Amino acid sequence: MRHPSDGTLRRLVDEPAGVADTDRSHVASCPKCEAGLAAARDDAATVALHFEISDISGREVDEAWQRLLANPAATGLAASAASAASAASAGLAGAAGAGGLALPGVPGVPGVPGAGGLASPGSAGRSARWRALLRSPVIAGIAVAALLAGAGAAAAANWLPIFRAERVAPLVIVPSDLVQLPELSGYGKLEITSAPRVRQVADAAAAKEGAGLGVPQVAELPRGVTGEPSYRVGDKATATFTFSAAKAAQTAAADGRSLPPMPAGLDGSQFRLSAGPGVAATWAEARGVPALIVARAVAPAAFSGGVPFETARDYLLSLPGLPASVASQLRSFSGDGTLPLIVKAGREESFTADVGGVQGTVLATRDGAMAGVIWVDDGLVTVVGGSLSTDEVLEVARGLTWQR
Amino acid sequence: MRERKDGVSFPRPDLEQVFRAAYPRVVAVAARVLGNRHEAEDIAQEVFLTFGRSAVPAGEATGWLSVAAAHTALNHLRTGRRRASREETVGAAETTAPDVAETVIARDERRRVRAALARLPRKQAVALVLRHSGLSYAEVAAALDLSPGSVGTTVRRAESALREELNRHAPSE
Repeated sequence: MRHPSDGTLRRLVDEPAGVADTDRSHVASCPKCEAGLAAARDDAATVALHFEISDISGREVDEAWQRLLANPAATGLAASAASAASAASAGLAGAAGAGGLALPGVPGVPGVPGAGGLASPGSAGRSARWRALLRSPVIAGIAVAALLAGAGAAAAANWLPIFRAERVAPLVIVPSDLVQLPELSGYGKLEITSAPRVRQVADAAAAKEGAGLGVPQVAELPRGVTGEPSYRVGDKATATFTFSAAKAAQTAAADGRSLPPMPAGLDGSQFRLSAGPGVAATWAEARGVPALIVARAVAPAAFSGGVPFETARDYLLSLPGLPASVASQLRSFSGDGTLPLIVKAGREESFTADVGGVQGTVLATRDGAMAGVIWVDDGLVTVVGGSLSTDEVLEVARGLTWQR
Repeated sequence: MRERKDGVSFPRPDLEQVFRAAYPRVVAVAARVLGNRHEAEDIAQEVFLTFGRSAVPAGEATGWLSVAAAHTALNHLRTGRRRASREETVGAAETTAPDVAETVIARDERRRVRAALARLPRKQAVALVLRHSGLSYAEVAAALDLSPGSVGTTVRRAESALREELNRHAPSE
């Protein structure tokens, strides 16, 4: 009789009821198959030992469920829009972590699970979370990106404007590169000089007054989105970054690398980042998950305390931690006012579409769960996003009017 | 709750029920791949968020979630090594409730198991982890679109390859 396959022998180890009687009888009387069964049993036991894990208690399940409900990624769009409204900091283009959407790559978009987000208004922990955001390699890396994307040379004068977002373009990053982006805090000191203070306000009139911007009016809500929106506003936010040669050398040394020589004048030089104010309207669902968000903020800008833009750009692009693919994309943005919008390769996709005569960048998660469109027009960056299709967000974006 | 144009409700109404039933298994699957409970819990959160936005039928939820956890954890293993090694250095000192595996298996060995797992063909790795996480042969077959008869073969090959890898990289050799 033919010997049973290795797969059948393996099944005999832990699911013998699934094996035919004839095979079982054969194995019992065949030394070769018995040896094969013993080998299968040994290998299975070895692997099982390496796969041992501790039990998960009911309490841990409860805690995990609460964590899921509170996860910023679950309300990622709310966080994003609130941040857009707050225009938290110049050029801190958003990036999403696992499961999040790199949606509104505008100012300080959190999207990074665990980073806290800026969605919930009025909490005392906001400034801490905001600092945490800035410490995140992704966000801080994008602050570097914003500096790199700056336009024009800054001569030796006070706070010369070197960047004003005029458009957005996707910056495609593979996850492994994402974790390699340098942390800005490793090259100097980043200080929040003015926090965005995102807060919920009573109605459209209060939002208009609080932000000093028009509030959005949606011509036709997508199917399933109903009711009145809630409004959030955020103040203008500013941050200052001061280069430090000593800190940069220390960071590089800790990572076993050596820094390229820092150009004269860069040590101690300052850059100021600013964005906002902003306003967001959110149509929420049960459990606070946003169905639709429309947000607008004064576009991010960067200013130099004296160092020529090219000097800072060339040096930053030469940093050992910056992945080559990212550096090359940033180099192509350089000098034209493009705000880089992080798109995670493989998880999200982006394309451009016309929004009222302006080119918008559409982003969507590949699972189709969320989509958004972002564009810059006349110094204002606008985001429309939600648990919608790309067609739906574009429809809303094209039909927007602004109550001034 | 509302319905999108494509007919998917978000978030799905059965999310909590499915979560409570399947969470331990989803964490277990990811933990077996990663050898780290904390990271596995993060993966589980990610997987349930995706599930919450999906239209996967409730009856297929366990299989879908298990496969998603295995793939996500394997992706994490393959692309996030640099970050993981960084975090491991920090996390090691902070661990207050060590996994059973951590007390039984030396860290170096644990690392070698994960490296070996990452080198397996993807289908073998997933089938192996699912079977060791308690999915029946029929469930593994359905989840991976295999014939029930070939599940044993796939798992056996994976175990054999893993054992060989472990032997090859064993410190004594």
